[in-house]
Amino acid sequence: MLLDLPVLKKGTFYFIKDGESDIILEDKTKRGLPVRETSIDEKLNVKVDKGMIHDMDGIGHWVSIRWYFSKDLYDLSDVILHAEIMEKKYAELRELTCPDDD
Amino acid sequence: MGYAHPEVLVDTEWVSKNPPGEKRKLVEVDYDPVNGYQKGHISGSSLIWWKRDINDPVTRDIIGKKQFEELMAKNGITSDTEVILYGDFNNWFAAFVFWVFKIYGHENLKIMNGGRKKWELENRDYTTDEPQIPKSTYIAQPPDEGLRAYLFDVSRALGKEDTVMVDVRSPAEFSGQITAPPEYPMEHAQRGGHIPNANNIPWATAVNDADGTFKAVEELKQNYEPKGVTPDKDVICYCRIGERSSHSWFVLKYLLGYPRVRNYDGSWTEWGNMIGNPVEK
Repeated sequence: MLLDLPVLKKGTFYFIKDGESDIILEDKTKRGLPVRETSIDEKLNVKVDKGMIHDMDGIGHWVSIRWYFSKDLYDLSDVILHAEIMEKKYAELRELTCPDDD
Repeated sequence: MGYAHPEVLVDTEWVSKNPPGEKRKLVEVDYDPVNGYQKGHISGSSLIWWKRDINDPVTRDIIGKKQFEELMAKNGITSDTEVILYGDFNNWFAAFVFWVFKIYGHENLKIMNGGRKKWELENRDYTTDEPQIPKSTYIAQPPDEGLRAYLFDVSRALGKEDTVMVDVRSPAEFSGQITAPPEYPMEHAQRGGHIPNANNIPWATAVNDADGTFKAVEELKQNYEPKGVTPDKDVICYCRIGERSSHSWFVLKYLLGYPRVRNYDGSWTEWGNMIGNPVEK
């Protein structure tokens, strides 16, 4: 079970988990979203679980839930790099929509 | 024993053998037309997009009479046209549009049992060609408000023995564990739970899992009657935004023939957001 895997690192918006042959990066904002497709992420060239989120108009958009970085090709620092990019993107979004009170 | 109004259903085989024409229109109703109609639809069918076509573009409400007449005209429908509706998401939105058609008094109206799901399971053909439909003239009836429940109707019904509330959402939504599934992040409410004394009879319990068709009448009766949802009561159905509840409204009113069934389309996104509304968990 993916849920039971040891957590290597976690941020506000991500988990990095230790899989058998992969380091798994999970987007915490997609928690609970059913996986509808597993394919290759064209940008990162790694296996990715995808689900669908519907917007205000009902239109479904494919979103990535978790990425599988092969341990043969990537180490933890590579995955952290991607995780921190994601973290920064979500932090900026939150700042935009729900800024902290000073 | 058959359905109370069998004339409101057609099956996929019938649709495949009875193509649309001047007096018969086939309309696909989608929540997500990008991943539905635009990818492929039954030949000759036009599209009603739930969000764009059947809802007022500004206020949260269904379209008014004039907007409905314009929508019918655009789809080539006249008041005596036989209209067959089908759609994505287990016909939830086709049922919602059926409800709106009935509010404006359209008589000859049917749903294709099983919707896109069954059509696709049977490997039947789709096309991406959109039909050229000449504009018609349509005169709608004044809205039949007896089919619709508003917030004040639901508030008034609280604690009344002759009105029964049917919450057709999933048990997790009913219990307040979630306010909306993760696929629909725009449809949350401020509070989770349900309207006090509502019965949780999920919409899905009225359909056959395998192909999305409606269950037989005896099974449907077993679904509702033991929970006190009986034909002698005033029945109000609700869900999150009023589309799954229109599916159950259709089942109760047309398949079981209950005389008094209303759809509360404000549903949980209205009730669960109102300050001071009582909530049960």
